[in-house]
Amino acid sequence: MNRHKPHQSMDRRSFLKKGMQTGALVVSYPVWKHLSGSDRQALFAAETAPAAGLDKDILKKLLEACLSRGGDFAEVYYERTVTNSLSLDEEKISTATRGLDMGAGFRVVQGEKTGYAFSDDLDFARLKEAAETAALIASGAAAQKPQNFTSLSPPSYYLVKVSPDTVASKEKAALLIRANSVARAFDKRITQVGVGFYDYSKRIMIANSEGLYAEDTQTLSRFGVSCDALEGSQRSTGYESKAGSFGFEHYSLSQADEFGRKAAEMAIRMLPAEDAPAGEFPIVIAKGYGGIFFHEAIGHSLEADGIRKKTSCFWDKLGQPIASPVVTLADDGTYKGAWGSVNIDDEGCVGKNTILIDKGICAAFIQDKLNANLMKKGQTGNGRRESYQFYPIPRMTNTYMHAGEAKPEDIIKSVSKGLYIVKIGGGNVQPTTGRFVFSVTEGYMIEGGKVAQPLKGIMLMGSGQEVLKNISMVGDDLLVIGGGTCGKDGQAKPTGFGNPTLKVDKITIGGKKA
Amino acid sequence: MDFKRIGEDIVNKAIKAGADEAEAVIENVKEFNVNVRKGEVETLQKSVSKGLGLRVYINKALGLSYTSDLSPESLDETVKRTIDLAKITESKPWQGLPDFGPQPLADLDLYDPEIAAVPDEKKIAMAKEVERIAMAQDKRITNSEGGSFSNTEREAGLFNSKGISCVLKETSCGFSAYVIAGEGDNMQGGGWSSNKRFFKELAPVEDVAKTAAQRAVEMLGARPVETNKVPVIFDRYAARSFWMGILFAIDGDDVFRKTTFMTEMLDKPIASALITINDDPTRRRFIGSVPFDGEGNTTRKITVVDKGVLKMFYYDSQTARKAGVKVHTVARRYGYKGGPGAGFICITVENGKDDPAELFKGVKEGLLVTGMRGSGTDTTTGAFSVGCSGFWIADGAKAFPVDGVTLGGTTLEILKGIDKVANDLDLRGSLNSPSFRVAEITVGGKKA
Repeated sequence: MNRHKPHQSMDRRSFLKKGMQTGALVVSYPVWKHLSGSDRQALFAAETAPAAGLDKDILKKLLEACLSRGGDFAEVYYERTVTNSLSLDEEKISTATRGLDMGAGFRVVQGEKTGYAFSDDLDFARLKEAAETAALIASGAAAQKPQNFTSLSPPSYYLVKVSPDTVASKEKAALLIRANSVARAFDKRITQVGVGFYDYSKRIMIANSEGLYAEDTQTLSRFGVSCDALEGSQRSTGYESKAGSFGFEHYSLSQADEFGRKAAEMAIRMLPAEDAPAGEFPIVIAKGYGGIFFHEAIGHSLEADGIRKKTSCFWDKLGQPIASPVVTLADDGTYKGAWGSVNIDDEGCVGKNTILIDKGICAAFIQDKLNANLMKKGQTGNGRRESYQFYPIPRMTNTYMHAGEAKPEDIIKSVSKGLYIVKIGGGNVQPTTGRFVFSVTEGYMIEGGKVAQPLKGIMLMGSGQEVLKNISMVGDDLLVIGGGTCGKDGQAKPTGFGNPTLKVDKITIGGKKA
Repeated sequence: MDFKRIGEDIVNKAIKAGADEAEAVIENVKEFNVNVRKGEVETLQKSVSKGLGLRVYINKALGLSYTSDLSPESLDETVKRTIDLAKITESKPWQGLPDFGPQPLADLDLYDPEIAAVPDEKKIAMAKEVERIAMAQDKRITNSEGGSFSNTEREAGLFNSKGISCVLKETSCGFSAYVIAGEGDNMQGGGWSSNKRFFKELAPVEDVAKTAAQRAVEMLGARPVETNKVPVIFDRYAARSFWMGILFAIDGDDVFRKTTFMTEMLDKPIASALITINDDPTRRRFIGSVPFDGEGNTTRKITVVDKGVLKMFYYDSQTARKAGVKVHTVARRYGYKGGPGAGFICITVENGKDDPAELFKGVKEGLLVTGMRGSGTDTTTGAFSVGCSGFWIADGAKAFPVDGVTLGGTTLEILKGIDKVANDLDLRGSLNSPSFRVAEITVGGKKA
């Protein structure tokens, strides 16, 4: 396991956004310990009102400054995020961190052009300066005035009664301590156990020149356990986690027991893993983690920016069959309590459930406001940004495949020689070619319709177009999960995903055994 | 902004508030970024951002926090909260600030005073120009993801209660193009960039444009090959991903925990004797250079692998104390939000003797890897598995482009199988390598 080692994106805001990374989009499904965060107790509670001084009159003045050179559209995005994390390592509560990110971003759009500037100083003069900088994208005189605001009151898809931000650290620590002791006691070959609790509360406010005014508090939490096991020279890792827009009432000591045991079980199960084979095989992907596969291999290629610019392999496929008829794929920002759910997206569009692929037919794209306008389509609630330091771009929320009718055990039985993929660690895709790779963290051989020995070093590789057509069986057991972040254009964003058990008739496996 | 005053002040306040040790890092970053597409500005962004991170220890227990709000009230509150956090965590005997005090720092000439005077129009023009030239290179180039120009001016400071007080001013700038060749189901993207500390040292626009175009066009028609064991050449740019996995596997703390396959390998051969790896963040004006590390330690050139023999593991001062080793510590730090952690800063895999053409000689059938999707190395088990693209080699020459294949094996076998290293090192960033050849790797493709 790569402790302390984020995917080597170097400086995430470096200018290599496009060049060196060959346009690849990376998603990582990190074990909690890869992420940093902070401890409880905000400077002020995360739910406090919007920024002091950012009342509607001020907002209007700032939007006027944005439009002072003739932009078509202007927007203010304010954010105040409190991040907490608590971690246990080597049997001790070792790190407690907290962080505050606060600022406002200004976006001005004229035609296809976007000007953006932000300020982490909420002094009116600084804000106005940022607004005027964003305005520079347009050239001319002010052509329009901001509309009067109408407040949006969207329904809520979050399952938060007790905000984790308000929970005492010792309550979180109790979960960590319990999971650690259960995992350690499970087997003496368990050598290391790490446990973490992470949460953030992001208070956002969006106001735009079309009169939209919206607020939201987005709370996410994640609890995870990871284990290392060692026997002779055989090493393995195991992990188990839960993540979503969950309040603290969704965590308990009995769950900590379960997670500690499951993480340890996986590490022990994977100890005797053998080298994976190389070549083409049928695979069965277990429910849950396979969703990362749809996120990467198909989801990114359905994002409207690549579609509009015709740089995605699916740009001209709307209304056409792109997948086997058993495939129905959704991007659903309204899935209750999911890691990627949004009451509103980061440009104030309410969360939506969009069918991207309907029984194999390409049915819709993932839209933000800019691309939806330019393509004359409706917004789909997918305009998302990492923070006030970035302008929104089309991003997935929770991407999952709808359940089918097959029994998971029948799907496994149908494979005489192939692989059973249980957990996927991460992957990336080149949206232009649709080519993807995934590294598998838990996988087994299937021999004669039965799950056989564990394998290490499994890499899945292929193109989204091909794999979509090779999906032949879909189980009745959909599971939506989360906890990871997706990277695109240098912006990291929490995204959820899911799938029922499914079978892909053939896919390229990169292993050691030729 | 007076970094020194703010930094030293908050450290003093933390000590007064009950911390045994305290450290503050402060950052102020000015950025300019423009993306153009098909000759028009698509996005233009200008920003200034700042932040402070505070790390305190009480009885060797850690509290860590950060804030983007540097108002005096917010900083006072940050001190108080960070102290509270250190009371929640448990003590570990090796935790705390480094044992070293203030270090002499070299001036590595990392700040370009002229870049601030380069007008935005000039930067925008460069972004447009690199895209225009790239698109005009070849009829098969059909589309563009755009051209870009960015520059950053960063001031950073690190201050601690043991008297360390370092400040750094640095600039970087760069431009890139990413274009698309082909149509329909046969599209390939290719990009290139130039990134430097000094504006005047940037590569000619034509060179970057031509490389971007070539990288897209040459991959048209790429296809998988059948599964086979063949010699594999890693081109110098693709090779960087490969080395990243090896560098991640030599973390001293993972060795202490016995969670890496490199645990027993110190002073033993891990690679072919043709491989020597140095970490040298001290080159003047270089994009990968930095005068002090994430704990305020002076950087210096160190040898990681000498003629195939592993010479060191990476430790920061805390993991070194825990493992009981006396070494030159190297700590990385990503911005102001997190604490330091051991890791490489600026790696060079040293040149070999062979001209790049020499690597192809005698290869009847093989693979030239020009793109890797990940590093391949599982740092726990040492299993190696990665997706890649490149070119099939037949009778010592590039035959056709390949995509959708995987490489599989074990990292140590691959390292030991390196039989030729080229002399084509191109220093571009914090990880640099020449091209090299491995005698045999399993290439996974079509049929089993």
